[in-house]
Amino acid sequence: MIKQFERIFQPKPAEIFHDHDFEQMGIKLKQSIAAVFGRSLAIREVDSGSDNATEIELVNLGTPYYDIERFGVTFVASPRHADVLVITGAVTHNMEIAVKKTYEAMPSPKLVIAVGDDACNGGIWRNTYSVNGAANNVIPVDFMIPGNPPTPHEIMLGLLSLMNTIRTKGR
Amino acid sequence: MKNIITEPAKLLWTPESAFREGANQDVYVTLDEETFQKGVKILAETFELVALFCVENFAEHTGFTLFYAFEKQGCPEILVIKRPLTSMQTTSVAKDFASACWYEREINDGFGVEFTDAYDKRRLFLHETYPVGFHPLLKSFPNQPIETGKSLQQEEYQFKKLEGEGVYQIPVGPVHAGIIEPGHFRFSVIGETIFNLEIRMFYKHRGVEKLAEGKKPADCLQIAESISGDESAANAAAFCIAVESIAGSHLPPRALQLRTILLEMERIYSHLGDMAGMMTDVAYPVGATGYFILREEILRLNQALTGSRFLKNIFCIGGMRRDIPSGSLDGLAEYLKAFPKKLLEANELVHKSAWVIDRLETTGIVKKELVRPLHLTGPVARASGAAADTRIAHPYGIYAQLELKNPTREKGDVMSRFELKSAEIIDSVTIINRLLGELKPGEATTPFNITDGHALAVVEAPRGQTVHWVYVKNGVIDRYKVRTASFCNWLSLEHAVQGNIVPDFPLINKSMNLSYAGTDL
Repeated sequence: MIKQFERIFQPKPAEIFHDHDFEQMGIKLKQSIAAVFGRSLAIREVDSGSDNATEIELVNLGTPYYDIERFGVTFVASPRHADVLVITGAVTHNMEIAVKKTYEAMPSPKLVIAVGDDACNGGIWRNTYSVNGAANNVIPVDFMIPGNPPTPHEIMLGLLSLMNTIRTKGR
Repeated sequence: MKNIITEPAKLLWTPESAFREGANQDVYVTLDEETFQKGVKILAETFELVALFCVENFAEHTGFTLFYAFEKQGCPEILVIKRPLTSMQTTSVAKDFASACWYEREINDGFGVEFTDAYDKRRLFLHETYPVGFHPLLKSFPNQPIETGKSLQQEEYQFKKLEGEGVYQIPVGPVHAGIIEPGHFRFSVIGETIFNLEIRMFYKHRGVEKLAEGKKPADCLQIAESISGDESAANAAAFCIAVESIAGSHLPPRALQLRTILLEMERIYSHLGDMAGMMTDVAYPVGATGYFILREEILRLNQALTGSRFLKNIFCIGGMRRDIPSGSLDGLAEYLKAFPKKLLEANELVHKSAWVIDRLETTGIVKKELVRPLHLTGPVARASGAAADTRIAHPYGIYAQLELKNPTREKGDVMSRFELKSAEIIDSVTIINRLLGELKPGEATTPFNITDGHALAVVEAPRGQTVHWVYVKNGVIDRYKVRTASFCNWLSLEHAVQGNIVPDFPLINKSMNLSYAGTDL
């Protein structure tokens, strides 16, 4: 019983792993999301042929060290709920239809971010028989976050500059 | 120690006709068609099919040669049977080796070699969008972008049909609800109970094997690291070991020690992710938190040690691309002191929750009888009571000196896999601690000259046995065959879910956490 009370008064994970730079980025991101979308940014992720490290980093954004949800970013289960589509991977031929259908299922205005080198420019797979190369060859991409894979910090920075671009220039 | 040559030798080959090739001393035997047919039945009694692949124009043989790699409990060598083909048609071994089914479909897609009596002749990694008659691994096809989807002469993929009163199908995927990789699951369900599951993979087929062809071995390391992002170190190590075996290089002790440390780091963070995932999938985020925190800490240590959170770009043929600074190694040793305690604390939260145990126990049982026919490997096999560990069965690097334990669990359910992974993390920490204490000074790399030849390398990745077979001709890679543990273990998922309810599927799937990228290549 006492232990349960102790748990309530324990510091929260985000307080233990306080990361000043990330925190500052997050606060700015929250402000820009509020300015562009009102309250929150809903992201749908589709893996179009990555090596799965990018997925791990995207999942990491939701774990206690980062906890991106406190800055208004949520990963949603359906493209119908999404403001942003995140594409990882060089869009294999086998995934091409699924990627297009996911894009079509999103409500307008549709924003697409290519995350990782493969999605940005095809990476090492660029000229193989099995891929379309950059995600932009299949659906219109608005923003790129390169890296093999990009770290949670880099993804965060990417989201922030996307929001800032929209704020200053519109789409 | 038993010797694979003398096992069933009297019937199929004489010790003189079996050759040891490559620095790994694997045993290669060429069998004519008649002996092969007879031999398959004999081999099926005690041998396990490790891999099956096809090579075009191998050595002096023009045309196709099929390679059947086998292992046998207690034998450190791998037996490779070569079966030269004289036409584009041959016979299937899938009736004797159930796991051969996917390999044969893969060969049919890649090379157009037809297995006339196969019970499943559907395409595997080439989905409907690829043109009819397209076989990317043929030497006559230069790797280049192709037109797809234009002429859909290919008929729609036929899933197995299960009919009966109250049976209905649930199609899931390729795009799933979470941040995970794509694959299609076709459930046949009665009420809430899964009657049958058929898995369709290869949505992420990127052409790993073809991309390597014609490249210098050193340029292929990046391809090996991209096979599966969270198994970069294991795949890079397997590729390096194969090429080093061909060249006959001997690595300095420091390189072997550092490699082993990184391979075990990879096992730790991979298993931590699986354990967190299992807790997420039973809707117990509090339980997952502890594992997520530890995984992030390990990823940060990876960054400090190698400059990459996923241990990319640190291995090179002949050793390590660069030495690891002693400061980072001290940091690792310091961190690991408190690590086991933190892990046990996280486990305690799980073991205290009766409802979590209720979800985990008796769920998704993989029967031990399936291990040999399907060649199940890694934690999936070990949680079902099989002593399958490549580090012990076919030791590579310095694993032979480490006197590894082989923890197993008997029940084969999700709980067994959960507990086993926890035990393996602790073992990996012990290995790393020991190596940090014994670390030898000196060079971490050795000069390397590529020579022609071929070699097989088997490595225990976090998910199980990974096989890399490399064939170097004229200084470039002529054929690169990769078979990851996930490729074998997917079929165990089809069996494990039967009789379970649909909502337990994500949990069972996560308890195995197979790599889609590593399967689809």
